[in-house]
Amino acid sequence: MIQMFHVSKTYPKDVVALSDITLHIQKGEFVFLCGPSGAGKTTLLRLIFRDELPTDGQILVNGRNVVRLRESKLPALRRSIGVIFQDFKLLMDRTVYDNLHLVTRVLGIPETISRRKIGRLLKEVGLLQKADQIPYSLSGGEQQRVAIARALVSDPAILLADEPTGNLDPDLALDVMRLLAEVNIRGTTVVVATHNPKLVAEMGHHTLILKQGRLVEEIP
Amino acid sequence: MLWERFRHLLGETFLNFRRGGWGVIASIGAIAIAFLVTGIFLLLTLNLSTVVARWAEDFQVVVFLDDTITKKQRTLVQKRLDGEMAVRDVTYLSKKEALADFRRKIRGQESLLEGLKTNPLPASFQLRIREQYQTADVLGHLAASLKRMEGIEDVLYGQEWVERLTSLIEVMKILGIVIGGVLGVASLFIVANTIRMAVYARAQEIEIMRLVGATRAYIQIPLILEGTLQGGLGAALALGLLYALFRGTLWQLGTTASMIFAGTELTQFLEAEYRMAMVGLGALLGGVGSLVAVRRFLKV
Ligand SMILES: Nc1ncnc2c1ncn2[C@@H]1O[C@H](COP(=O)(O)OP(=O)(O)OP(=O)(O)O)[C@@H](O)[C@H]1O
Ligand SMILES: [Mg+2]
Repeated sequence: MIQMFHVSKTYPKDVVALSDITLHIQKGEFVFLCGPSGAGKTTLLRLIFRDELPTDGQILVNGRNVVRLRESKLPALRRSIGVIFQDFKLLMDRTVYDNLHLVTRVLGIPETISRRKIGRLLKEVGLLQKADQIPYSLSGGEQQRVAIARALVSDPAILLADEPTGNLDPDLALDVMRLLAEVNIRGTTVVVATHNPKLVAEMGHHTLILKQGRLVEEIP
Repeated sequence: MLWERFRHLLGETFLNFRRGGWGVIASIGAIAIAFLVTGIFLLLTLNLSTVVARWAEDFQVVVFLDDTITKKQRTLVQKRLDGEMAVRDVTYLSKKEALADFRRKIRGQESLLEGLKTNPLPASFQLRIREQYQTADVLGHLAASLKRMEGIEDVLYGQEWVERLTSLIEVMKILGIVIGGVLGVASLFIVANTIRMAVYARAQEIEIMRLVGATRAYIQIPLILEGTLQGGLGAALALGLLYALFRGTLWQLGTTASMIFAGTELTQFLEAEYRMAMVGLGALLGGVGSLVAVRRFLKV
């Protein structure tokens, strides 16, 4: 589903974020991407949905060469990938509902179907009662779940979660992980970036360990 | 689906409009000023052209006769005029006819003539000049030699004025184009800036739309429509102001205007084609301005 061949990424001013990464993530897998802060986890995820281009190497996502993707094919790629951003990227001045509605509009989903879909997703993450509140008035964990619901609006084939348990207490973190596992069971390939090794140990999945931009270990 | 898209587009455009606040007002104002100034020039040139064309046509040379002219002298003058190469035809206008003519021209303000005991208007010969002789030079000579004849009080010829006015109109046209152009370009930049601010204000939303797979068009079209709408509204506002100015000026000038321009078409505002062209041009200007901004400040 996701393949990288000798991928490197250097940001301006010679900041090396990734060097010579080769990896293969199968369809339907649940993969952890581990490593300390600054190891390059976010960068690796951003390469997958072509928010950034690699300095070197090739990336295949769902059979498409992301590096050589034409601009006109970019929306289709991004619609097939749901992303839970490390900083959530929620619009703080819109309701929870409107945050999700933004996506259904981009996707051109008709209003009646959109309404049902958003209702179902909010119910799934347990936020149906808060649909009309603005994210600003929600707790960190609730905002996190809004971000998850939004990432699932497009029924993506791939879900990328960047530090989805970042500042949650252990119980809530486990809840979120359970939610992601459910999504995975329904067929979505899930990649979770985290620097929380305890979480990884508890779940016991395919794990990739990054350190200073290098893939130092892979636990199948 | 299509309707859904259309509604989204419209909703988005108006929402941006409301969020834009002062920037939007500045944009519309700038376009309005540019079009108002250009419109003033346009209106003046068009109307002056009409007036001048009319003068040039039926007001070429007028030979005013002394009130004391004898029948014999008048016949002599008539003969002289008939024999003149430059003259195409001659019409005699008696004192009575002149007064009637004047009365007709100032219809509505006849009270001005009340209290007149005698007819102050002279009798005259109205000359039409052959095309090839219609220059200030030829007419100047003709006027000078006619003036020396007995019984002729004065000779008026409009040619010099026509020529002066024509060159004035030319100057005004060029001035109008230059000033309009400069203001047009300036307002284009102001629109571009407003749209740039709109892009910045919505940076986060645009970023999210981009990342969840919005096409370039989906993001850009509402912004470009917004600029187009600003441009069109600006031009429409300018038209409204121009019309108010036009009415106000006519009202101020009052009687004078109707006397000077009686029978001409000065009292006409810009025609429908001009009005539509102005609004269209405003919309185009706004559209181009926002296209520039969107191209420069929106990454995909
Ligand atoms: N947009 C950018 N421009 C320049 N340098 C960047 C950029 N994004 C990341 N970096 C640098 O690249 C390196 C890897 O950053 P990245 O965000 O991928 O790490 P991370 O593993 O996600 O860290 P964290 O766990 O703190 O989120 C860091 O040194 C960072 O400073
Ligand atoms: Mg990160």
